[in-house]
Amino acid sequence: MAHKYKLIYFDRRGRGEVARLLFAAAGVEYEDFRFKKEEWPKYKGTTPFGQCPVLEVDGKPLTQSNAIVRHLAREFGLAGKTAWDQAQVDMILETMQDIANPISVICLCKDEEEKHALKATYEEETLPRYLEAVQKILAANKDGKGFLVGDEMTVADLSLFWTLDCIPVMVKNPTAKFPKLQEFRDRIAAVPNIAAWLEKLPKTADWDNSNVEHNP
Amino acid sequence: MAPKYKLVYFDVKGRGELARLLFAVAEVEYEDYRFKEEDWPKLKGDTPFGQVPVLEVDGKPLAQSNAIARYLAREFGLAGKTAWDQAQVDMIVETMQDMGNPVIPIFMCKNEEEKAKLTKTYAEETLPRYMEALQKILVANTEGKGFFVGDEMTLADLALFASFDWFEAGAKNPLEKFPKLQEFKDRIASCPKIAAWLEKRPKTEF
Repeated sequence: MAHKYKLIYFDRRGRGEVARLLFAAAGVEYEDFRFKKEEWPKYKGTTPFGQCPVLEVDGKPLTQSNAIVRHLAREFGLAGKTAWDQAQVDMILETMQDIANPISVICLCKDEEEKHALKATYEEETLPRYLEAVQKILAANKDGKGFLVGDEMTVADLSLFWTLDCIPVMVKNPTAKFPKLQEFRDRIAAVPNIAAWLEKLPKTADWDNSNVEHNP
Repeated sequence: MAPKYKLVYFDVKGRGELARLLFAVAEVEYEDYRFKEEDWPKLKGDTPFGQVPVLEVDGKPLAQSNAIARYLAREFGLAGKTAWDQAQVDMIVETMQDMGNPVIPIFMCKNEEEKAKLTKTYAEETLPRYMEALQKILVANTEGKGFFVGDEMTLADLALFASFDWFEAGAKNPLEKFPKLQEFKDRIASCPKIAAWLEKRPKTEF
């Protein structure tokens, strides 16, 4: 019997979106439970670590966005076909964290001078280094015309797709110098299940400061 | 034929130690390649993302410490027995990031007053909140006398064990109020294969 899935998260894309993209890509039903920011104190104590998203599978909780994402990817056959492919997919998921996490840190920085310096480092060094490396991986696989790992879509592709959408809040036009990544982004957006989700997804604030999560 | 493993990292525990613990527990041979800090600029360009550790498996590179750890754990049967167990193990490994990340700004902070404030928040709020949650998970599994997930040691146990030193860099005596976690730490340290590794490993500060 099919599992009953419930994803519990804020009413935003943020750290819940890759899970939602996985459900969309796999065509699997789930309850997309979204609460408002002011409701969080009510839910916080019921979660394993005082954090969300939480994925309930037949009522049992799993937290940590990446653990959720990897679990769903494996369940849906989107984790990579071989052990080595799965490791490469995993490496890319981790790298997406390295790209996205500094954005939160910079947004939350209170000292203007430090913020400015951090942003400059991110824009001029950190981000280009990662995007270059990711583009190289993409280009090495079917000349960049397909997916990041193997012959079929994996969660690595969905995670990169989402991360590319997150970056502009900090650095405009991040793929300007990375044409293969831009083509990739457009290609994933055009995949029917993904296009349908993008059309349907609640038009919440995309990635503004309210999306930046701080775990005190 | 058994794969040929080479772990490439600085001569520190840091983000390489979890992989080393996995090799030790699984009793699998590998080359524990440690380079000096001054050699890093030379090696950096050869890595997938300009970072280490990198695990070479039959010469093919895998970067990102947690991707390496999860790969080895799966290869060595230490990832969790069922899909759900693996997810729970994964959840705990991810939590190590949340617990460990605040240590970096504390280290880097140059203003003594600010540093004291950050340390206080970490030691009195952040870390205890996670420790409490982890102890609860441990106790719910065989009354805290065993492992975090299932009946056998997994990556989750090793990840927490490897992280204690890191937490202590940000907060003194983090296990003071968490006796079951202290017992857990002692229990893991005394497992023969781990004890042997702790004895044998190069003694580095971090």
